[in-house]
Amino acid sequence: MAELERQDMQGYIVSGYIHLPCAMYLLLRVSDGSAARAWLAKLINEITTAERKQEGTCLNIAFTRSGLNRLGMNYPETLATFPLSFLEGMNSPYRTKILGDDGENDPANWEWGGADEQKTADILLLLFGADEATLDQLIARQRSTFATGGVSELRALGAGRQPDTHEHFGFNDDITQPALEGTSAVKRNRPQDVIKLGEVLLSYINDYGQPTDSPLISPEHDPQNMLPNQQPVHGAPSNAPILHDLGRNGTYVVFRQLEQHVAEFWNYLDEASRDGNGQVDRAASVRLGAKFVGRWPSGAPLVNAPDADNPALGQDDNFNYFDADPHGFKCPIGSHIRRSNPRDSLAPNAEASLASVNRHRLIRRGRSYGHRAQDPRVDDGQRRGLHFICLNADIERQFEFVQQTWINSPVFSGLCGEVDPLVGHLSKGDEVMTIQGDPVRTRVHNLRRFITVKGGAYFFMPGMKALRYLASL
Amino acid sequence: MKQTVLSFICEVQPDRVAQLNALLKNLQSDLLANPNPTLAFPSVKQLHFASMLVHEDQGYAPILIFEANFDGEVQPFLNDLVQVAGAELDRIYRHCRGYNLGDSSDPALLRNYLRANIVEPSAYYIGNVGRSVQRTLQEDGLRGSAEKFLDDTVALGKDNASPSRLRQDLQNFVRGVPGLAWVANVPARQTTSEHVLPWVKIAIVALVVLAFLPALILPLIIYLIILRWKETHDIPQTSPANREHEKALLETELRPNSVQTHMSSITIVKPGPFRRWTLRTVLFLIGMAARVSVKGDLFGIATIHFAHWSLIDQGRRMVFLSNFDGSWENYLDDFIDKVSAGLTGVWSNTTGFPKTKFLFFEGTKNGPRFKATTRDKQTPTTIWYSAYPHLTVQNIDNNSAIREDLFKTLDEQQTREWLWRF
Repeated sequence: MAELERQDMQGYIVSGYIHLPCAMYLLLRVSDGSAARAWLAKLINEITTAERKQEGTCLNIAFTRSGLNRLGMNYPETLATFPLSFLEGMNSPYRTKILGDDGENDPANWEWGGADEQKTADILLLLFGADEATLDQLIARQRSTFATGGVSELRALGAGRQPDTHEHFGFNDDITQPALEGTSAVKRNRPQDVIKLGEVLLSYINDYGQPTDSPLISPEHDPQNMLPNQQPVHGAPSNAPILHDLGRNGTYVVFRQLEQHVAEFWNYLDEASRDGNGQVDRAASVRLGAKFVGRWPSGAPLVNAPDADNPALGQDDNFNYFDADPHGFKCPIGSHIRRSNPRDSLAPNAEASLASVNRHRLIRRGRSYGHRAQDPRVDDGQRRGLHFICLNADIERQFEFVQQTWINSPVFSGLCGEVDPLVGHLSKGDEVMTIQGDPVRTRVHNLRRFITVKGGAYFFMPGMKALRYLASL
Repeated sequence: MKQTVLSFICEVQPDRVAQLNALLKNLQSDLLANPNPTLAFPSVKQLHFASMLVHEDQGYAPILIFEANFDGEVQPFLNDLVQVAGAELDRIYRHCRGYNLGDSSDPALLRNYLRANIVEPSAYYIGNVGRSVQRTLQEDGLRGSAEKFLDDTVALGKDNASPSRLRQDLQNFVRGVPGLAWVANVPARQTTSEHVLPWVKIAIVALVVLAFLPALILPLIIYLIILRWKETHDIPQTSPANREHEKALLETELRPNSVQTHMSSITIVKPGPFRRWTLRTVLFLIGMAARVSVKGDLFGIATIHFAHWSLIDQGRRMVFLSNFDGSWENYLDDFIDKVSAGLTGVWSNTTGFPKTKFLFFEGTKNGPRFKATTRDKQTPTTIWYSAYPHLTVQNIDNNSAIREDLFKTLDEQQTREWLWRF
């Protein structure tokens, strides 16, 4: 197992900075490449690395393809080594089909990162603070550098302090997280949740036992040897040229702004779970919501708490499906947590399922935005949602796979004609969800989209050496 | 019931490739948008899946590959096909070499041309053996009706009845629907001889191999030495997939309202008789094993409807065509996780494949390299038709199981498990 080169890694890869409850994500555009390189060179000293926990504030940075271009990273042979998903961007027609972003979720309707080129981001600046005042100071200080730094602010996506770890629908979130081999998170996780470094970090050994593909630079473009040599490629001829590694200690950041329609969600659940006399039954409504999610509001998993919420299990992640719930009688097969991480439930058996599922894990870094609704059943006109952020080394094999093959597949795990009830590709027709039961299943009908995509992009988060290299172009 | 898997492969006149591609693209748009398309595949009642594409390789004439997976024998299929789609096929084949450009009103010309260009697969696999198009659609309809009936049962609060009561109600419901009268008399999907003969063939081959085993040991050792020498000297592709080519593939691959995907891969067999005969042998073995894999699962992959391998140009090129469930990424993962040995055994005989050991090892296990070379060796499928794009192999199997057990005598546990199929 390779040692983590922590001094060369941005801290965000190993920590979501939960000790810093206030966050701001600034989307920037580069107007002047050479000024922006000078700006970046200065900023590098402020970037949080993975070396140690940092109190007070943290700062990290990532780039879209257009961001790299505008900084001067235009070598065609290097671009060919980035994945197509990153090169095309989340708003491109093929990615849109893979992700199921159509109708109101079509990039044409996004507020940023969508069809309008003027509203696409070049740079993502992630800012975190221990409290509001500290964060505000950090934001102000950064903003003061933009004008001379050749960058301009496209959008400020705040993710302020939340009362607890629940997302806006009211369910405890962020419980399941894979642990990177060799980090302290391993101790907190079951062995089945430990993933190889190369599943997140570029050019480290991945689950296939190979170094993950990484963007490469020809040595002539790096005469000062600022970048390390590439990892050896299995089977390459011995006389193949050795290129320089732009991706080492970097990762890809998937960012999606998901607006949540909280009142619509709870009103739907109320309607769909009315009792025999046609009366709203709030307990039944919560139960149906839990069936959608796969966890109760406290976070207690349905597999371990099938009949009622149990706050004592609020952080419980110690469950699988194959033995405990093969037919989905506790946690429906189509529920959100079962689709997004099927654990040991896929064919042909538990062991094979776990092995294959672990090639599609994501480090989740999302944070809620907007204020928690006073009464979740009343539309207060305020905007709220989730800045969904995840890290992975292979966008196509990890994030897009989860979205395409599990979340949005109408035939996931033997189902027929239904998608994820929370974030799936729900059309306007009679969308159903099957809630398996003994002796017979129930189907809920006319599901609506309770979440709208407001923007999104794929970013490359380079290591520190690569950042210095980019600043020197 | 007999089902046929084959492709018609003929050379395209090199100066007409662009025109033919444009024509195929138009026909495909029409096929997707129009319930009664010009290229009337939906009217060929026995046709499960079909595809058409033009493939070009350096050093070879361009070819048109027309894949057809259908119920029954070739001749009735050709009769029906030419009857409903003859005019469009005539337009297509006018771009091809050796096609009679005379009087296109004579359907026999087209039939004969197609017949003359049949390429029988070296190995093929069928996910739902013996289930005809008609039966697949009927059983899907049955399940749909039953689901609605169960929805009503639940809405009326009658779902806390006993499993046997629920089942009886469902049986009575089905009996009462005139359109479901067919349920009572559906023949078995395989005859006894269809079921037994493939096992007999395996037994005979195994006996022959055993009988000659002592004489085979020395040749086998020599074979392995040559193989290892070749494996250490072959140069695999190590570059990422060509991004422009990847886009062209995604263009035809991502299909709205389909849970299925198609893959066309035409690869060049590594030069020399050694690799050609290795490949033939491996395909022979796979074909034999595929005949007894009748439970919807080929070595653990439960997502393939129809797939076949054909050797063309005296075994110098291999055509692979597959109609499968789910995404390309998922399919390739199955190749890596579940059937690595078999897959490596086949494709390691073709150029560019990742490094292998003893024919069956390593190879696809290098997932990223395997995916990259697979992408580069694929050809976009210009025309693709499925008779039931919303159903997976497993859905079809489940629908069949619902129908098969509907009026059978079941004990209490079996009754419960039967209800769980909904």
